[in-house]
Amino acid sequence: MMAGPRVTPPRAKTGIPVLDERLQGGFPRPSTLLLFSDKPTEKRLFGENFAIQGARSGEVSLYVDFFRAPQLARGELKRFGNVPTDKLVFVDAISAQLLLRSEEPYRIEDMNSLDDIRSSILTAIEAVRPARIVVDSMEFLIDRFPKEEVLKVWRELIDAAKAAGSVICFLFINWTLVERDLQTIRAMSDFVVEFQSSLRGGIVRNSMRISQMETDGVRTNWIPYAFKDLVGVTVYFPRILVTGPFNAGKSTVVRALSERAISIDRMGTTVAFDYGSVNVTGIEAEIFGTPGQERFEFIFKIFAREVSGVLLVVDATRPEDLDRGKQMLDLVGPKIPYVVLANKSDLPGALAPHEIARRMDLPDDVPVVPTVATEDKGVRDALLVLAEMIIGVR
Amino acid sequence: MAPDALPRLQAVLAELRRVPDILGATIARRDGILIAHALSRSLDPKKIAAMAAAIVGTSEMAAIEMGLGEFNQSIVDTHVGKMMATGAGDEAILVTMVRNEANMGLVLLSVERAVESIAEILRVAEQAAEVTT
Repeated sequence: MMAGPRVTPPRAKTGIPVLDERLQGGFPRPSTLLLFSDKPTEKRLFGENFAIQGARSGEVSLYVDFFRAPQLARGELKRFGNVPTDKLVFVDAISAQLLLRSEEPYRIEDMNSLDDIRSSILTAIEAVRPARIVVDSMEFLIDRFPKEEVLKVWRELIDAAKAAGSVICFLFINWTLVERDLQTIRAMSDFVVEFQSSLRGGIVRNSMRISQMETDGVRTNWIPYAFKDLVGVTVYFPRILVTGPFNAGKSTVVRALSERAISIDRMGTTVAFDYGSVNVTGIEAEIFGTPGQERFEFIFKIFAREVSGVLLVVDATRPEDLDRGKQMLDLVGPKIPYVVLANKSDLPGALAPHEIARRMDLPDDVPVVPTVATEDKGVRDALLVLAEMIIGVR
Repeated sequence: MAPDALPRLQAVLAELRRVPDILGATIARRDGILIAHALSRSLDPKKIAAMAAAIVGTSEMAAIEMGLGEFNQSIVDTHVGKMMATGAGDEAILVTMVRNEANMGLVLLSVERAVESIAEILRVAEQAAEVTT
């Protein structure tokens, strides 16, 4: 491989294609990110992922870790798969405290001195001129030093990152600060990425929301995400429901979307459900197809919980079934994003998408996508449209 | 989830697998989402979770239709062995696969103990989550 200077791209990709698209290629350089939550969540994953995506694309990432010795952190980062070690530089805050010899070029000797912490990090930024910086984390400093002094250091780090042309991420859990201080911190940032975790029935769900501080900037909905071994953070929809009237082609849609699907059907109709998992452009999703016939509605109810979005499949040649389609949406519940798939759109007599929208009396913001599921046409587009609706953007 | 809930569920599954002739076990939510599993690599735990939910849901409905009262367990009997889907609290299902040679008395007793532990672990985890939110 050719060594030598390479031009750092103007945007720092997150490595999650749907997000990068929303951000017009990634976070602009330089910029300041606040990774924020008000209780422990898995936002470190996002910080680590951001540093590693940078290292993988040939950028140098500087990771300031107040909690782990670099050897330990490097070990833990192995779950992301291969990471070019020369592109990932640590500021070692631990070895000196443990009176260990450190091999790291950048280290903080005295963790009781905010000034030492400040100057060590600044030295590293100036020397390395990293494309990305992760500071893990600011609550460590806020808990130990006077607030005003920490905020001063915080600003200095932002200025140093700007001078180096980097994207700097501050991880921060707020335990003690009041709203007014938080306002100040938000105002110092260009983007705030908020994190939350919830638990239902033994399953933890993580989600994040990106807001650009600038007026009329990017603002997403809560985006569910998961960690995939050896890959990193992906957008993850735990359940996309594929539903619609009898014989509309739901099972075919599930099969067209997924790598490996299972179908429980008898005599050509689904009697239990279809299931498949999808992985397209940084989106992972579990797809559940329901039966269409009314007598199997109880199966529908088993799977109609915690639905991220719905693909409503209708047969474009059967206007008489459209009412049943609407009724099935009501079964899922209100406020869940959905896309209508006008399937069998290649057949003679198929209604045009706008005609289906009119007959179903759909709101203006509900897309109708023409599909031919048997030939794999339009189905993936419909899923991507749905994904965009779930993620949301302003 | 309370950080220790998942390891505790894994421990319940590991304990169950120590019973002779139990081939594997999975904990799924009643709406078909995987919680934890101890299965051989050739099986897809997510699919098994979805199918178990359908089996339990269908069985529950059948039991109600037939006036047979509250659902306890579904057993799928094959020429190789049996698959048991047992309710574990309101939220979860324990799926246990056993060989036909198994001592069913012992298996059923172990499954019963396991579902009690699972229900308790999930109840505590859920309570802890409510306190912190």
